[in-house]
Amino acid sequence: MRHLFFLFSTLSTLLVAPVTAQVGEFVGDEDNLYAATKQVNQFLRRFNGEEDLTGRRYRVSDSSYREPELRRKYINILFDNKQKDISTELKEVFMSEIVDASKPEFLNFHGGSWFAQVSTKFNYKGQDETLQLFLRLQKEPIGSKWVIFKAYFDPFKSFFEIDTVDKGKFIHPMSHELDFMNLRKIFKDPEVVAVYANRDFQPDYLSLILYEIKKGNLTFSSVERVKFHFFQLDDWYFELTEFNRSGPNTGWLISNLLKTDSQQKQILREFIYYEGH
Amino acid sequence: MRKLFLTIIAICSLAVVSGQDELSPERKEAVDSLALEKVRDLSRYISIIGNKDTPFSEANRVIDRAEELFAAGSEIGVSSINRSDINYYEVTEYFKRLMALNYDRVTIKWFNIQYISDLELQPDGRYVGVITVYQRFEGISADGLRYMDTTKKDITVYVERKQTQIGGRLIGFWDVMLGDIRVTETST
Repeated sequence: MRHLFFLFSTLSTLLVAPVTAQVGEFVGDEDNLYAATKQVNQFLRRFNGEEDLTGRRYRVSDSSYREPELRRKYINILFDNKQKDISTELKEVFMSEIVDASKPEFLNFHGGSWFAQVSTKFNYKGQDETLQLFLRLQKEPIGSKWVIFKAYFDPFKSFFEIDTVDKGKFIHPMSHELDFMNLRKIFKDPEVVAVYANRDFQPDYLSLILYEIKKGNLTFSSVERVKFHFFQLDDWYFELTEFNRSGPNTGWLISNLLKTDSQQKQILREFIYYEGH
Repeated sequence: MRKLFLTIIAICSLAVVSGQDELSPERKEAVDSLALEKVRDLSRYISIIGNKDTPFSEANRVIDRAEELFAAGSEIGVSSINRSDINYYEVTEYFKRLMALNYDRVTIKWFNIQYISDLELQPDGRYVGVITVYQRFEGISADGLRYMDTTKKDITVYVERKQTQIGGRLIGFWDVMLGDIRVTETST
């Protein structure tokens, strides 16, 4: 009953006629299920103000479609309430810039600048290990599909660690005059070969992972967690995570929100990709 | 007979789209209803298969019917609150396990709520969407112990343009098949 009150009080203007039964026969306390953001698709529609409380799509011609007050109320329930790092003040600034501005912003499924981070479990040399996959939507001649564009695998990290203290390991600048004959000595010690790569070198984990899968050394076990990173809104980044808990504040919710300029966004992207550390 | 009637109705109601491969918002709503009808069929079949009062032969017949709803290669991925790992089952295996559950009495009911996603075009020309429904399961063992859970079922639906011949005329229609299902135990 409390949850019903919550719904009514937070979304009073959204209420429409009761939904008629379509799939089910069970009549129970469904308030939390209605309140839950059940799909990423629903998150996007609620964020944009494109559906009613029951999940029914608004048509573009409907007066409530993308209506600012409706969006404010929806966005307010799209935050993880247990995440204390997202202050009330920050939420207010976010909503004033996204909803109330003269040029409001909306999320677009095919708009790019958002991607999925999928934590998976793989078996590598007899042990279960976590492997991070990064996927984004790619447009195709017909339709679209998710593609893996980056990956990270912690067991490979040590292969590329460089001893920055030891300044004695390098290919000296006149090596070319000797047809790089000193490469023979360099490759004798596999442990330190990464030190001879260029300063900006970043290992391509995805290539390594695909290679190891093809060689049969890496076998998929399961998906552990999924979250999404949104860089689509000007000057904002947010993380979307699925929460499975009792109460109405459940489902796909904003678990992290940062005000960022384009330079900070790039740094943040590299951090998410486990690059540069 | 009822199924045949429904199919014909569905075909007729969508026949107006004949000759057009794109789904307008209005047509998408019509396809949503068709997809929901398949999910309703699946829900009914699951309730029958799980019910201990259903005779063995009848349950097997219903499993056959349920399998016909799915595209080839579909899987069901199941996880619980206490276990992040997902167990993957082929559709038949999932139904057989449901039939063989070790309870004296099983009741499966469905919440009156469903969420239908947008339909997205995929590279093979089919549309794909996800319908979310919630199921309440209750099992009572021989010694009277009661187990209950609520699961969220995210059901993939594929929508494909097909043609059929009726009275010598080729009629285009949108056919719906179910695909992979993700089953998550909920905390609600």
